[in-house]
Amino acid sequence: MSEQATPLLEAHNVTVRFGGLVAVDGVSANFVPGELVGIIGPNGAGKTTFFNAISGVQVPTSGRLIAHGHNLTGRGPHRFAAHGVARTFQTPRVFADMPVVANIEFGLKFAGQRRRKYVFWGDEVDVPWALRDAASILSLIGLSAQAELPAAAITPSQQRLLEIGMALATRPKLLLLDEVAAGLTESEIEEMARLIRRLRDELDLTVIWIEHAVTTLLRHVERVIVLHQGRKIADDTPHNVVRNPEVIEAYLGDEMAEPSADSEEEEVAA
Amino acid sequence: MNSRQFLIRDLLVLLAFSGWALALPSYASEFVVSMALTCLMYVALSSSWGLFCGSTRYLSLATSAFFGIGAYTTALLLGQFGWVETITIGAGMAVVVAVVMGAAVLHLRGTYFAVLTFGMTELIMHAVTYFEKTVTGTVGRVLTVIPENNVIYLTVLVIAVLAVALSITVRRTRFGLALMGIGADEQRAQTLGVNTRLIKIAGFAITAAFAGAVGAAMAVRWTYIDPHAVFNPFIGFQTVLITLIGGVLTLWGPLLAAIIFSVLAESLRLQFPQIYLMSLGLLLILCVLYLPGGLASLRWATFKGWWTDSRDWAKDLKRELSGEKERDKQRLKRREKESHFV
Amino acid sequence: MSITAWLELIASGLITGGIYALVALGLNLQYGLMRILNIAHGEFLMVGAYLTWLVQTQFGLSPLLMVPVAFVVLMVLGVAVHFLCFRRLTATSPNLDVFEARGLMVAFGLMFLVQNFVSWQWGGDLRGYDYLTEPVKFGEAQFAANKLLVFGLALLFSGALIVLLRMTLLGKGVRALMQSAIGAQLMGIDTKRLHPMMFGIGLGLSGVAGALLSMAYTITPYMGQPYTVTALIVITLGGFGSMGGALIGGLFLGVIEALGMHFTNPSLKALLSYVVFIAVLLLRPEGLFTRKGRNA
Repeated sequence: MSEQATPLLEAHNVTVRFGGLVAVDGVSANFVPGELVGIIGPNGAGKTTFFNAISGVQVPTSGRLIAHGHNLTGRGPHRFAAHGVARTFQTPRVFADMPVVANIEFGLKFAGQRRRKYVFWGDEVDVPWALRDAASILSLIGLSAQAELPAAAITPSQQRLLEIGMALATRPKLLLLDEVAAGLTESEIEEMARLIRRLRDELDLTVIWIEHAVTTLLRHVERVIVLHQGRKIADDTPHNVVRNPEVIEAYLGDEMAEPSADSEEEEVAA
Repeated sequence: MNSRQFLIRDLLVLLAFSGWALALPSYASEFVVSMALTCLMYVALSSSWGLFCGSTRYLSLATSAFFGIGAYTTALLLGQFGWVETITIGAGMAVVVAVVMGAAVLHLRGTYFAVLTFGMTELIMHAVTYFEKTVTGTVGRVLTVIPENNVIYLTVLVIAVLAVALSITVRRTRFGLALMGIGADEQRAQTLGVNTRLIKIAGFAITAAFAGAVGAAMAVRWTYIDPHAVFNPFIGFQTVLITLIGGVLTLWGPLLAAIIFSVLAESLRLQFPQIYLMSLGLLLILCVLYLPGGLASLRWATFKGWWTDSRDWAKDLKRELSGEKERDKQRLKRREKESHFV
Repeated sequence: MSITAWLELIASGLITGGIYALVALGLNLQYGLMRILNIAHGEFLMVGAYLTWLVQTQFGLSPLLMVPVAFVVLMVLGVAVHFLCFRRLTATSPNLDVFEARGLMVAFGLMFLVQNFVSWQWGGDLRGYDYLTEPVKFGEAQFAANKLLVFGLALLFSGALIVLLRMTLLGKGVRALMQSAIGAQLMGIDTKRLHPMMFGIGLGLSGVAGALLSMAYTITPYMGQPYTVTALIVITLGGFGSMGGALIGGLFLGVIEALGMHFTNPSLKALLSYVVFIAVLLLRPEGLFTRKGRNA
């Protein structure tokens, strides 16, 4: 799991303040290559704002963000993308008028560009086989059949897959997934979780995953960060996190107490 | 037709157009040539404006500022420098101003940006007026070195062809894709690796370069220029109107509209200038409301759509007038009330 | 400079400022409530002025009478314009940015249409008439009676609008809508009726300003545009959507302009007002007179 590898992304004491409201309060976390991390927390805990901070979309009020040893604090999202940070948005933001395949090609042409072996031709250097071109990415996420359709014409859950595909097209090292399972059925969530697992394994990615479907997430990730009212209240394995009294109190529920076979009934009741 | 065939078609049309425009002065009357000159000027202005503002949806009203900067460059430098050099310097000065302006205001969205570019245009005009009055003691400038009519025509033609050619090529490059991405969802494009700030400034600078070049070339048509004439916001307004009515995302829309409006403008200008402007305004309103893609997006389907829309509207009106709508509403209300008692 | 001269200068600034405030309030209502940046606003001011002038020269009716008439006529015109031009935009625009951009362009077209219609019908020459031009004295200071009347009525109408927005149920509904469109609609406030009416009231105010202006100044078909620009500057200074800010900002700008005109030459004054405008938009977009944190 977390060997003492050089961190891919370090967040040092990141604080994001909007006027009088503190959305993210001094959160520090390091992410090493190959991790599968989940971020959970009640509504308003600052999860998406934290994502916005570590992807460059939101400039933190204070704190530092370092990727691969480069200080990226305050730089724009395109710098983060250039350093391998890719993200999806909670509501899928695809380019509605362009065909699905063009949406994927967009990322390939910008942050996804890599040097070619012989400068202007030859295969691209350092690119995972599964991400070699738009067609391979489409088959990875399962949207090959919809390639020529305009992005506005596919279903919302397909759009969510497209979101992931667009992020993958930038050939990232770190993939930030923001509630990609929201509104999906039980089995769809399982499928999504398996896809995420596969992506991490096959593409050598680090995946950070925000999710409300807490029980499913806890089953698949190796490390969980819990945010509550902007602060990090836990950063541990799923097993330990669900026994953390602060976490239990934050969620005000005992659905967290025993992640077992009963969890499915409990999730339905939630 | 695949994209390579489109490219060939576009280039061929451009070639035909330029050939025709080139041959025009040898057989047409002076009036027609003068009309063609205005037309070419607006082709250049609207094509370059549409290139940036069409895809990114940042409506720039700064065209008049760049035009005026080009014009003043000619007024000040022609004579000391050659014709081509002066035009280039004019374009260059406009680009410098655009980069400064763009760096300051391009982070604001749509309406703010439009209003700001308008404000900056007025600011530049008043600054030049003030400077001329107090520092150099003049109100306007007289142009003494005037090249031949043919030279002016040829220059503007070259600028117009360049603008259209650039439009044709840019939309096939990464730069053009970045512009479209910015217009579709700027933040998303950023997270996919587009340096939107730089791209926007570059696009803005392109509109400035062409407007400056055109201004520098057209200045010699007036023997006397003053800030109110060359920084006249109307030039910018007309550019915007023409491009929007023609079809801001299309290649040939602005060109088509420029031709139509130059013809209209010249024929109506002497007797009914207000009717020309009124029709411009009316056409813009109609286009924005019913044809947002502009004239170039007219297809058979659009006409059919309008026909069915107006038929539906007439049917609805009949229903309302005959009281049927009211009766349906009452029936629905009664049913709702009944369901509450269940 | 003597006290009297100072007073006269500031007062003349306040008088123009009152008109600015009136026009700005109308524009603010339209933008703050409906996100329609009506840059044709000044043209309707011009229409009000021409209407008053026409009635005065043709029928000899007092312009004072025309003030409420201008309000009503322009209000009806405003409702019609909203119905014809802007209503469809709300239905067909995919998001707010596109709606704002399209609204701006429609207003553009309206500007061309109205300005040139008047120019076509009545020519581009300056027109005017005399009304209450005898001077009135306050101690040593001297003012034209018509200008005092203009100031008084401008303040009256501005005040009436602000009172309307604060005290009446309708006004509260409007303010609620400005703060949170969806929340207000959930409370049952009907935007379909409210929007055209408020648009109409905005134009009505502009018409009143025009009627008032015609009493004391000459009119031309092109007089509207500078007022639109000034109104824009005022609502930027005062904060988009803030009524009190528009009132204070208008008066403030009027005084600044009067002082500027007197002590420097007109070009510099224009230059300075644009510099201020751009500076405020870039550095403090929520306006100089609003509290930070207010929704723009």
